[in-house]
Amino acid sequence: MKKKIVSLLLAGAMVASLTACGNSGSGGQASGGKDGGAKGGNELTVWCWDPAFNIYSMNEAAKVYQKDHPDFKLNVVETPWADIQTKLTTAATSGKLDTLPDIILLQDNAFQKNVLTYPDAFKDITASGIDFTQFAKAKTAYSVVNGKNYGVPFDNGAVVACYRTDILDQAGYKVDDFKDITWSKYQQMGEEILAKTGKPLLSCQAGESDLIMMMLQSAGGSLFDKDGKPSMVGNDKLKKVMETYASLVKSGVLIEVNDWDQYVGTLTNSTVGGTINGCWIMASIQTAEDQSGKWAITNMPKLEGVDGATNYSNNGGSSWAITSVCKNPDLAYDFMAKTFAGSTSFYETILPKSGALSTYLPAAQSKVYAEPQKFFGDAPVYATITDFASKIPSNNTGVYYYEARDAVATAITNVVAGADIDAEIKTAEDTVNFAMGK
Amino acid sequence: MDNSKKKLSLGQKQSLAGWAFLTPAVLFIAVMSFLPMIQALFLSFQSGKGANLSWAGVTNYVRMFQDPVFMQALKNNFIYLIIQVPIMLILALILASLLNNKDLRFKGLFRTAIFLPCATSLVSYAVIFRSLFAVDGLINIVLIKLGFLSTGYNFLGHPNSARIVIILALIWRWTGYNMVFYLSGLQNIEYSIYESAKIDGASPIQSFWGITVPLLKPTILLTAIMSTNGTLQLFDESVNLTYGGPSNATITMSHYIYNVSFKYVPNFGYAAAMSYLILFLVAVLAFLQMKVGDKRD
Repeated sequence: MKKKIVSLLLAGAMVASLTACGNSGSGGQASGGKDGGAKGGNELTVWCWDPAFNIYSMNEAAKVYQKDHPDFKLNVVETPWADIQTKLTTAATSGKLDTLPDIILLQDNAFQKNVLTYPDAFKDITASGIDFTQFAKAKTAYSVVNGKNYGVPFDNGAVVACYRTDILDQAGYKVDDFKDITWSKYQQMGEEILAKTGKPLLSCQAGESDLIMMMLQSAGGSLFDKDGKPSMVGNDKLKKVMETYASLVKSGVLIEVNDWDQYVGTLTNSTVGGTINGCWIMASIQTAEDQSGKWAITNMPKLEGVDGATNYSNNGGSSWAITSVCKNPDLAYDFMAKTFAGSTSFYETILPKSGALSTYLPAAQSKVYAEPQKFFGDAPVYATITDFASKIPSNNTGVYYYEARDAVATAITNVVAGADIDAEIKTAEDTVNFAMGK
Repeated sequence: MDNSKKKLSLGQKQSLAGWAFLTPAVLFIAVMSFLPMIQALFLSFQSGKGANLSWAGVTNYVRMFQDPVFMQALKNNFIYLIIQVPIMLILALILASLLNNKDLRFKGLFRTAIFLPCATSLVSYAVIFRSLFAVDGLINIVLIKLGFLSTGYNFLGHPNSARIVIILALIWRWTGYNMVFYLSGLQNIEYSIYESAKIDGASPIQSFWGITVPLLKPTILLTAIMSTNGTLQLFDESVNLTYGGPSNATITMSHYIYNVSFKYVPNFGYAAAMSYLILFLVAVLAFLQMKVGDKRD
């Protein structure tokens, strides 16, 4: 029969109560410390999700650390992000935090929400000896709550604008024409390219607010103020972003598709002449091997007539958090400080195979980062992106970030369909306020 | 006297054995199903973020009627219910009586083919429907080739067409399931009734309305209650086919409950309260259908 969400919820309550009754064996396993005090002294357990990316990086980090600490053992448990979130919610709401591992990888967008909702689950690592000044500032800001550091920044979500040089060429443009431009200039060139080649310049997923959030952050804007209150009504930056977005859709330069696969399809099937997204999108672009050498990257367009507008933004990325039940906090700090937060050679190892771009600034100076990439017209794209990353303005995600994203996505869908921007922004703010219980 | 006493104790013995066999199942159902239901009821009177719950009286129940997204979801559920369930049940009934024809060849093949959709995974069929109705999907390509459209229509990008796609998907998935119930119900109707009706000059349509429908009433009632129940708890299609969009035009109550518990800042008390509203609606609708539909004497 059809899935019964009611029973699902009830089952959730059951799981919570069951975990409370039986001190489950898996908990002991996961925390890695229970089945032998002495042995546990050199072991850390980690949850993260991508075998080709963050799991690979973690294992490489363990190898680096093992050179100086031969006894060190790392136990990586592959756990999809949705499961991490559910397990964390279950553990924290049932008060059984010892089911958590020592280190978990958290999506940056969900970092503040989790730390603020479950403050007991995470360790304040401000004074752990990890040097946070070596990371891109906007990136670190995701894992700072009430002025305290709770996460070690990992992968880079710096926004890149990717263009198909062969399509631009048909309309007489070069990639450099798109460097340091504004959105109106972008739209103007986009219209010309659309007229000459029949290809839109940009695609994005309808009902998602990724592009909106990228535009907003590029001008240092947020949906929340510093105190976590929604600030949408009267937010000039948000209004400008919505106008820009609606205008792009209207002109045909931006096409909306319905899901992620179709979005990636527009890139790999040459339906569009470019895209703007977090730099991790380059992994998807590179799956179209026949397009090798035809792509180039530069920075994104900036908003016009807005204070603090830049050509740089962020989308996605994740950070490592150390849980409060970690048996060996000192070991975890030291491990992090000597690998993810202190080893350029470590980042050099993981880059070629996983494309895991760091937000660790010293790594950008490395030779490996400066190597030309054949797929992107022999440009040293990794060094470029690390440079972009250092220029991104910070934004406030707050606890209710996902609510706000959805509310804004609803608003922009209606605006594109012809609704009044101010009224829609007001509705979105009301929705978020309602979710916050006001 | 003695004899009857003995018999009674045998009966008692038997019922004792019966209870002994039942006890494990009853205990499991009580602990795994009823206990959480009661816990959820208590939960629905609490409010707060994540684990920090405090008693809030009926706030959650008042709150849901002020929640525009939940009201929209409720409305969507009823649109699906009112349009999809009757179409599906009538279609299933017609298919069942067609396939019940004695002279039809390859009956097994047709029955299997029509039943097969409901053996597919909910997620994968939703994903397939999504790609079928994509801007460059099969449906659009066919419509363009046939000359009905000049460019692809974004079915999932417009509120009404997105709802129609969901309704089509539901009909495709569940018609065969209901047909099987009707087919088994039809086996209990004597073929001679149809024969005599034929002799009396009744057309196939007349015997359908005059014999099949009235005699299948209990089965129709059953399927109507099950479909109502299922439609009110609709989840996978909204989550996987349309993502609830565009701008919440297709989101269902269960999808919103999921968001409130797992996507947003968890508010389990509010989610439990909304779940209880679904339970209440299902109970009321089932009761009404029993009253209206079941006129056995």
